[in-house]
Amino acid sequence: MQQPESVRPLTTERHHPTGDTHELRPRETEQGNPFTFTPQLIHLHKDHELFEDGDITRHMYLQDLYISEADDKPTLSVSEFACHISGCSAVFSTLEEYEHHYNSLHRHVCCSCRRSLPSARLLDIHIQEWHDSLFAILAQRQDMYQCLVEGCGQKFRTSKLRKDHLIRLHKYPPDFRFDKTKKDRGTRETKRQQQKDTAMEVADDVCESEGVCEVMCDVLSNQLEHGESMETHVSQEEARMAKSDSTEEHADLSAAAHGAGNTSTEATKPRYSYRVPTSVCFGHGSVRGFRGRRGRRK
Amino acid sequence: MWRLNKVRHKAAGRHGDSLEELKLKRREHERALRQARRDRQLVSKRLLLNEDEDQPEVTMDTNSGEQDVVSLFHKLQQTGSEREARLKALSKALRDPSAQLAFIKQENSMHLLVGFLTGSDATCRLQAVRCLHELSHSPHTNVAPACLPATPYLLTYLSGQSTKFTELCLYTLGNLCPESDVVKEKLLAQGIIPALANCIENQRHNLAVVEAVGFTLSQLLQAKDAAEKIIPMVLASSLPSHLLSVLTPDPDFGLAPAIECAWCLHYLTCSTEDNRVLLAHGALLKCSSLLVSLGAAVAEGNKEEGMELLICPLLRCVGNLLSSCPVEDLSTQVGDVHIVVALCALLQAYLQTQPALARESAWVLNNLTAYSSALCSALLTFNLVPGLIQLLPFSQGINTMILRALANIAHKKKEFCVQLAHLGLLSALCATLKMADQEMVTLSMDVLFMLVVSGPQVAEEFVRQGGLSLLEAIQYNSKGDIRRRATHLLEHHLLSYSVVKTYLLNL
Repeated sequence: MQQPESVRPLTTERHHPTGDTHELRPRETEQGNPFTFTPQLIHLHKDHELFEDGDITRHMYLQDLYISEADDKPTLSVSEFACHISGCSAVFSTLEEYEHHYNSLHRHVCCSCRRSLPSARLLDIHIQEWHDSLFAILAQRQDMYQCLVEGCGQKFRTSKLRKDHLIRLHKYPPDFRFDKTKKDRGTRETKRQQQKDTAMEVADDVCESEGVCEVMCDVLSNQLEHGESMETHVSQEEARMAKSDSTEEHADLSAAAHGAGNTSTEATKPRYSYRVPTSVCFGHGSVRGFRGRRGRRK
Repeated sequence: MWRLNKVRHKAAGRHGDSLEELKLKRREHERALRQARRDRQLVSKRLLLNEDEDQPEVTMDTNSGEQDVVSLFHKLQQTGSEREARLKALSKALRDPSAQLAFIKQENSMHLLVGFLTGSDATCRLQAVRCLHELSHSPHTNVAPACLPATPYLLTYLSGQSTKFTELCLYTLGNLCPESDVVKEKLLAQGIIPALANCIENQRHNLAVVEAVGFTLSQLLQAKDAAEKIIPMVLASSLPSHLLSVLTPDPDFGLAPAIECAWCLHYLTCSTEDNRVLLAHGALLKCSSLLVSLGAAVAEGNKEEGMELLICPLLRCVGNLLSSCPVEDLSTQVGDVHIVVALCALLQAYLQTQPALARESAWVLNNLTAYSSALCSALLTFNLVPGLIQLLPFSQGINTMILRALANIAHKKKEFCVQLAHLGLLSALCATLKMADQEMVTLSMDVLFMLVVSGPQVAEEFVRQGGLSLLEAIQYNSKGDIRRRATHLLEHHLLSYSVVKTYLLNL
């Protein structure tokens, strides 16, 4: 849709109206310009639904039933807000509720594994530790695992050491949700969420937000806490994975299990059918299901 | 003439109904009307009350009513001196639907009535037409067709001079019109349209008769196939110019005649998309200037009772006439740019009490702004845009129409876009993009595009308001065409070096 500098010659574009909505011949669009708005004259026929209320008032008047003040005030309704993220169908009555939902559940989401983290910093740490092959390599030789508490600055050789530090020094709970290791990942594959958008190859595995996991997740992760062997864990995980997407995770896990920093580049491959720069993750991922939804969009 | 007030006050004490019961009845009635409309069966009849009546009184005792009717009929068949009194009694008895049925079942009953209708006794004529009027109002479907033998005479009498008599003839005909296609065809063949045209022309000064003509014509024009047969005949007659001349409400008589004529015009304009004839008569000019004065009155708080009954059809006429009006004629046809002021006043005034009327006003605003740069400019000049932006939260079609109108403005010139952004449309869009209504989201994206490409200041302002992350989120929208719009905006217009640089420099 072109934006002219002055008023465009309207007469040349005018069609004789036909049908209910008078549609102009679509303008020549720029290459790939997806915007389609053009001004439209709208002609409404006698039986159009927009005319219903007025017609009823008219006929109430004809039948001597008209009163100027309505019995009940007709309800003027306010638009609802809805989360349009593919797979999410949460609906809200106020903008504030929407913003809270969005900021809590969709804002800091990892592009690769769709996990939602509560802050940009934790997201950065997550991406670094889970999806950065360079990290895995460096971690073999240096202390790479940062303390999660902002301002602490300490780094540790392993995630376990960091966890101990968090528990001992910073009094964190042992099952702090934002410090899951990669190993834990597979067990929290709960129910598949409905795939709303088939254009996007969504791996609907993990819960979308570690912060609001169901109790079941905790149970599973607690089981892990008690020192299951890697091999058992992996096979358990294999049993749970049903989709082919899982092969990526499997590859990651076995890589981790074998201590090789050979995380396949597959992990960072964009999984959407349209292009998202791989090097840049704005932190907003598509989310499948969710908890805390208020209502279904109609 | 229809007295709006009386209905309300008296209705409360009627037949022992409490106010609550009355409300219930009204609501039920309303529901029935809505269903009838959905079935394309929305039809109403009017009952003209006697001078001594305030409201339709129906006797509860149907048996005696039927007996009365039969005995009266027999008595009337005999010659005698009490015919007037008996006819009057008959007309009262015929208020009852079962009595109506009983009457037409009597052989030669209609013949009798027609005899009185055309007889030499004027009082008997009046009473006879009163009887026919009661019959025409019957809820039973086989009663009204029984009145057909009388119609040629009713039509003839339309050129008479007796007000009450003419009124009764008109309302009787008006009640008969929607009965069936057979009835309509007969009436058309008997020349109802020229008769109505003559009547309104000759009785122009008599507003009660004018109102009755308007009602009868509106009944004809509502027919399902009106567009094919009836409307062309009406347009070819002198009726359109008479209808237009009655539109301005008379301060003494009230709104009623204007209301009827406005509804006639609405049925004329909405049934066809070629309104050249009406445009040539100056219909758009007349209706829009009337809206200007009505809007001004409403803005001052002078909401006369029943005003929306007139405003509604006028809005519709303007809306539909606009869609037939060639662009080059717009300025002459619409005349006063203050029409936009009037529309915004109507929008605000009726938003809470009659949202449907507000929605229709918004529709007209869309049609006004679609092709007219002058009217778009007027909205800006008269500072009406902030008020419109504040209406964007309201659903059920109000916000989509208003956003369309705002989009029409943006579509005209980049300068308008800058002004719109300055007046708060950008931040409003940040909210409307999150609405559940997909049409709002799509429209918002398109408007956002127009604003953003209008100039670097707008783009920067949008980025300053957090627009980048908003669009990034939209890139994950469940709808593909929305995602593409967001991506296009980001890649081609917002993530350009200059925009981001300016943004960063200004941090």
